[in-house]
Amino acid sequence: MRFRNYNFDFIGKSKIWIIISLVMIIGGIASYFIQGGFNLGIDFLGGSLMEVEFTRDVDVTEVRSVMNDIGFRNAILQRTESNKFIIRTTPINTEVKNEILDSLDEKIGTTGTLLQDRNVDPGFGKQITKYAFIAVGIGIVGILIYIWIRFEFRFGAAAILALVHDVLVTLGVYAILNREINTSTIAAILTIIGYSINDTIVVFDRIRENTPMTRKLGYIKVVNDSINVTLPRSINTSLTTLIPIILLLILGTAALKDFALALTVGIVTGTYSSIFIASPIVVAWNNRFPKYKK
Amino acid sequence: MRNKKVHITIIAIFIAIISVSLYYILKEPINLGLLKEPINLSLLKESINLGLDLKGGTQIILKPTERGGTGEITPEKLNLTMDRIRDRIDRLGVSEPLVTKDHLKNIVVQLPGVKDPDTAKEIIGKTAQLEFRLVTGTFISQKDDNWSIVGLDYEKGELLIDPDAKKTILIDDINKFFQGKSVLTVGNLITDPETNELVLVAPQNQADSEENKEGENADSAGSNFSAEEILGVVKYDSETMQMFIEKDGEEVGEILVDSRTGAATLAEPALLTGDKLAKAAAGYDTYGEIRVTLSFKDEGVEIFKEITSENIGRNLAIVLDEEIKSAPYIKVPITDGSAEITGIDSIEEAKNIELVLQTGALPISLQIEESSTVGPTLGMDSLNKGLYAGIIGFILIIVFMLFYYKGLGIYSALGLIIYIIIFWGIISGIGAALTLPGIAGIILTIGMAVDANVIIFERIKEEIIKSKSPRIAIGYGFKNALRTIVDSNVTTLITAAALYRFGTGPIKGFAVTLSLGVVISMIVSLLFTRSIIFLMSGISRINTPGFLGVRRRSSE
Repeated sequence: MRFRNYNFDFIGKSKIWIIISLVMIIGGIASYFIQGGFNLGIDFLGGSLMEVEFTRDVDVTEVRSVMNDIGFRNAILQRTESNKFIIRTTPINTEVKNEILDSLDEKIGTTGTLLQDRNVDPGFGKQITKYAFIAVGIGIVGILIYIWIRFEFRFGAAAILALVHDVLVTLGVYAILNREINTSTIAAILTIIGYSINDTIVVFDRIRENTPMTRKLGYIKVVNDSINVTLPRSINTSLTTLIPIILLLILGTAALKDFALALTVGIVTGTYSSIFIASPIVVAWNNRFPKYKK
Repeated sequence: MRNKKVHITIIAIFIAIISVSLYYILKEPINLGLLKEPINLSLLKESINLGLDLKGGTQIILKPTERGGTGEITPEKLNLTMDRIRDRIDRLGVSEPLVTKDHLKNIVVQLPGVKDPDTAKEIIGKTAQLEFRLVTGTFISQKDDNWSIVGLDYEKGELLIDPDAKKTILIDDINKFFQGKSVLTVGNLITDPETNELVLVAPQNQADSEENKEGENADSAGSNFSAEEILGVVKYDSETMQMFIEKDGEEVGEILVDSRTGAATLAEPALLTGDKLAKAAAGYDTYGEIRVTLSFKDEGVEIFKEITSENIGRNLAIVLDEEIKSAPYIKVPITDGSAEITGIDSIEEAKNIELVLQTGALPISLQIEESSTVGPTLGMDSLNKGLYAGIIGFILIIVFMLFYYKGLGIYSALGLIIYIIIFWGIISGIGAALTLPGIAGIILTIGMAVDANVIIFERIKEEIIKSKSPRIAIGYGFKNALRTIVDSNVTTLITAAALYRFGTGPIKGFAVTLSLGVVISMIVSLLFTRSIIFLMSGISRINTPGFLGVRRRSSE
């Protein structure tokens, strides 16, 4: 039988997909080490952050020189708009903060009010990260049990592997771009987990439905046909999900862009993994521990 | 015919839900001032309870600690702390503050639109534990012929003694010492060679410290001492960050820092505390010095009278949050129960002290873990940009669905509009605060909401290609899609539930919008879209394969 007009051989070329994924993941890990770890935000490292609005357009060198003059050589500067800067420092108290603001006001001129002002204790980020990990861990176990009940254990394992793949690729992109990781990124990655699973399940559902045809067609063919028949859905759903997210990436403020970037990467890799990674794993599992006719 | 009735009922229920949602969305008055914007978003913004990161404000997260010896953190203490914090905020005049605790027992204080976040931070986190303690003496150390005061590092639990200092002694009155008058040596601080602990021993002869100043008998208090001479051993509790002098396991006194000189001062256990206080008032004394005058309740008046009459000639330290503010000399018994705190830097600080003493001490000490202030312009900017992205994204999704699924696309457009109305209505109705991650969550769910439609439509198309009649194809399409949609969404809900249970602040908000989105989109597509498609499929003219987005190929 033939499903519609798509008939790509996904499983036959699975080695290629796995190599592509490995290259992505290894690239991410390599840049992680080259960059000396992730670019972690104050949510994790602790510290102070303020966003200053200047009365005129300024460039980084100008702000940098003021910061150097008052002894904040290590301050991280990020231009959010032509006259707005985020300044990140080690934890500072109100007096020191006011000194910085006074110097900036005197030498460049500020509007006087801070757009944002945050102080995070170094221990706090560890707490957030710890609970994020617990959340992910429990989420993964829950998903595994659900898929085990509704499908088979091997599907659950494959879905989790695809999910780990997606998280690794997304984190890898953050390492490669050296983008800051903050609580928004964590929330976005957690969402990717939800999306990735959702996407994978739709393909698995079709494999489950078509499994009775294995005797006639063989498992590889059944899986391949299942991917092909769900292909329009996989592509269309990721497109409709990506449309607003990419708009957010273009139109949003700095904080929204942070979110949108992780989600964009996650949705693309989530769709990729449910087609190219999760199902080949199920086939490979069946090759290794045959339950159905190859 | 029975089916038709069911579908009509379902649609009627949805119309009711939509009406209720619209009621909540439209309930709030429309701000006409915002009509100047290119797209009028005021309606959307007014109906939603915005989080601090969107409307601007300060959020402070405080972690309970045992610092200062406030003891074990119990739920009762935590609740009392929250009440007192609320009281303090009320006195600051902040409107609509929110004091809650998270699952990590942190206290989360949200202050919308507070004008002076720094003062708020100062006041909210202050324990305001007021104590009256008799001063035993002050530590000074000698290096060469110079005497200098000894500091104290609470965090490390170390007395800051010059490593080259010849000796460290405890003198009875630091003020006299500064004035060059003769002082009494109360004890010598030496290191026990066996235990390596700092030990305070009685001076060998009650000699005038003038002698010591001249350097005579400099080493007389050397390293050997007998047990009878021990006044106490210095102990440090890293949990509470307190340094004590203990004798035979009993606390003899606590070493505190004098805020005026920075000197480590030994004070006896507290005789009177702030809970006996009736009133505190900031102001100036007749010399123009800043002070906070204190008056006690009847019980406190009695105790204060007793203390002052029994200890004439000694110094009584007024200790606020483990810091000696002042230590006046007791000349005469004070019978009217009035005292004052001096040594305050500014009238603002005095007013803050007044406020925290008036509202009472916090039963646990708190440490500011995170404070975050967002100006109103930045938050509004995020909200506007997020909404624009959402609106444009919504339009593009509908265009895509119409282009790809033709007639079926109309149903998904309708479904999406209903989804957004219900979603918005629920958020308005339950008054959940919309935060920045929440916006991202909503925008994500707009895309995901279409997913159920895509799955159903693809199934319908498959059935039509298998040459089933459109009406039967629609039936099969929904039937086959049901299991897929439920399984895929349940797994997403499991993730959201884990995030909600174990996530913190922003992650929690995200989990709520995500699960709301998943559930609403599932209900809308499986009930509403299904019923409307079934009802419409009765009209044969629009029910052609072409309308359903399928061109039949002769080969299939």
